[in-house]
Amino acid sequence: MKQLFRKLTLLVMTCGFIASAQATTPEEDLAAFQNFFKKRFPNVETQDYINGAYSIDPVGRENWEAIEEFPPYEPFIDEGQAMWETPFANGKTYKDCFPDGPALAGKYPHWDKDKGMVMTLPLALNNCRKANGEKPMKYKKGPINSILSYLSYESRGQVTNVVVPSDDPKALQAYEDGKKFYYTRRGQLNFSCAHCHLQNAGMILRTEILSPALGHTTHFPVYRSKWGTVGTLHRRFTGCNKQVRAKPFKAHGEEYRNLEYFLTYMSNGLPLNGPGARK
Amino acid sequence: MHKRKVLKFSLLAGILCSSMTTLALADEVSTAKVQKLIDAADAARKQAAEVGGEWRDTGKMIKKAKGLLKKGDFVAAAKLANKAAKQGHLGYEQAMSQKELKLPSYLHYE
Repeated sequence: MKQLFRKLTLLVMTCGFIASAQATTPEEDLAAFQNFFKKRFPNVETQDYINGAYSIDPVGRENWEAIEEFPPYEPFIDEGQAMWETPFANGKTYKDCFPDGPALAGKYPHWDKDKGMVMTLPLALNNCRKANGEKPMKYKKGPINSILSYLSYESRGQVTNVVVPSDDPKALQAYEDGKKFYYTRRGQLNFSCAHCHLQNAGMILRTEILSPALGHTTHFPVYRSKWGTVGTLHRRFTGCNKQVRAKPFKAHGEEYRNLEYFLTYMSNGLPLNGPGARK
Repeated sequence: MHKRKVLKFSLLAGILCSSMTTLALADEVSTAKVQKLIDAADAARKQAAEVGGEWRDTGKMIKKAKGLLKKGDFVAAAKLANKAAKQGHLGYEQAMSQKELKLPSYLHYE
């Protein structure tokens, strides 16, 4: 009886996933990912997924819209602007590293061929600081959120357009690693990212509606009422991993960088609307 | 009468001494035993971590077990170390079972 129960549990757990012997291209992944949501929530406009759970939760949306009238992230944008304009000790500023100006969030994450790695915006900011003799910022909490808020605000309306260059197999490998991370079960609860935000998007977990994965990357950094402050995308990755009782990885380490690369690619075509406000 | 008193006292002192030695020895044995369990748990945790399969609380359990051992709570320390070792093994097995990418069947590729 016990054995039968075990076998049944295994069967149920396996159900919903198939072993993929066939390789899929990023373009095919993108189409399958976005089509999944079109079928799942046929009344939601694709562009509206940038609003996260509020694209599928009308009551939550009303509350959120009321919050957005006096956005809690506004002071962070102002602080970030001051950071952008304030010279480093050597007299240079962020502008010297990013001559095209602060509206640059749409360029990240991207594949850095020279470095052979995914370059994220927070990493690029810290590289700039280090190159100018400044101490790098912490990746989850603190001042990095202010400057990211400012840069995201300035980048609003830019369209997500992550490219996986075909001339560099390392780039495709990074994308594939990010994809593998996304669909991998981990932690004591044995969940993958996809279990919550793809398969069960829209379902209620305790009191929360599970947000759809599509559009997840467009609105970061995010002011979360739970945090009482603005936090980065990698802080959220950390939180998600902890919630399934897995040991989180290092913020802006290879695992989360590649995850960001894949996840942002999945939102290609959606406009940036950060910083956001969430529960 | 005095002789009997001395004999009684010596006997008592002897018993006390031997039981203290036994207790100290038992402590040493328990410490070594539990330390072994903690080391095994840490090895299991590291094995899981190497394949990216470490669970959230395993490290914390090991740390707590070490603290309990220091306090002399052998039973609780051993129990926690065993639990952590099990988590380490399960985390490793989980990561191994996930070695290959498994795309969900509900994602339709055309």
